[in-house]
Amino acid sequence: MTLHGFILLGLALFSLGLVAVLSRRNLIAVLIGVELMMNAASLNFMAFNRYVVKDPAIGQVFVLIIIGLAAAEVAIFLSIILRLYRLRRDIDVEHLTGLKG
Amino acid sequence: MLEQFVVYLFAALVVTGGLMAALTRQILYAIIGMGLSLLGLSGIFLYLGSPFVAAMQLLIYIGGITVAIVFAMMLSLSMSLRPPQSQPQKFALAIVGAGIFFAAMATVVHGTQFPLLQEQAPEAAWAVSQLGHLLLNAYNLVFETLSLVLLLAIIGAILIARKEKAVQ
Repeated sequence: MTLHGFILLGLALFSLGLVAVLSRRNLIAVLIGVELMMNAASLNFMAFNRYVVKDPAIGQVFVLIIIGLAAAEVAIFLSIILRLYRLRRDIDVEHLTGLKG
Repeated sequence: MLEQFVVYLFAALVVTGGLMAALTRQILYAIIGMGLSLLGLSGIFLYLGSPFVAAMQLLIYIGGITVAIVFAMMLSLSMSLRPPQSQPQKFALAIVGAGIFFAAMATVVHGTQFPLLQEQAPEAAWAVSQLGHLLLNAYNLVFETLSLVLLLAIIGAILIARKEKAVQ
């Protein structure tokens, strides 16, 4: 597989995440879509790191940071889901319109 | 030859898992699909020369994040909630939008010539110790900031998710 192949793979993964974020109604499914998009980004970093960058440690540092931020994001997201479920017994995205003007 | 075969296998795993995560209506299958996709991605990281990042991907994503999402699913009982009515129009619009994005980006990528490295970096540059040196010297600020962000995220998660007994 060449660099183009890896970038196209990352692009496919990102598009699938986009489909999940745009079309799903369960909040957990939206979170899964976001995770897929983040992983597409880290795949891009690793591929460029392998084939283009002179110092191969830099891309790995980037990917580690992405993984750490994803963990933080998931922790917050899941606690929001639990809170919402406790308050409203419902985690459908289209019913969460409390902040609508 | 075998190596190429394994990489394509992992790539197929990534795409299959992604399809499963994006398209199935059962939330548990979506989580399993995401796990498969992340597993394939970890194999690809291994091929791209970084066993450490591949191991971290396995540990944190599959061992941590996927399990945490399963827990949230069980605690919020979204399996037993009645499934929302399907909206073919919204789904079709999402597919079309993502398809347009994919086509446009693929065209751009296809037409781009990347300045590929003539020779690979030496083996020592890929070592984990090199990564550790960078994280604790040149990228120390990023490292410390990340740990602060994680700490704050954990405190915030506890604050948001805890039960408020006094109010009830």
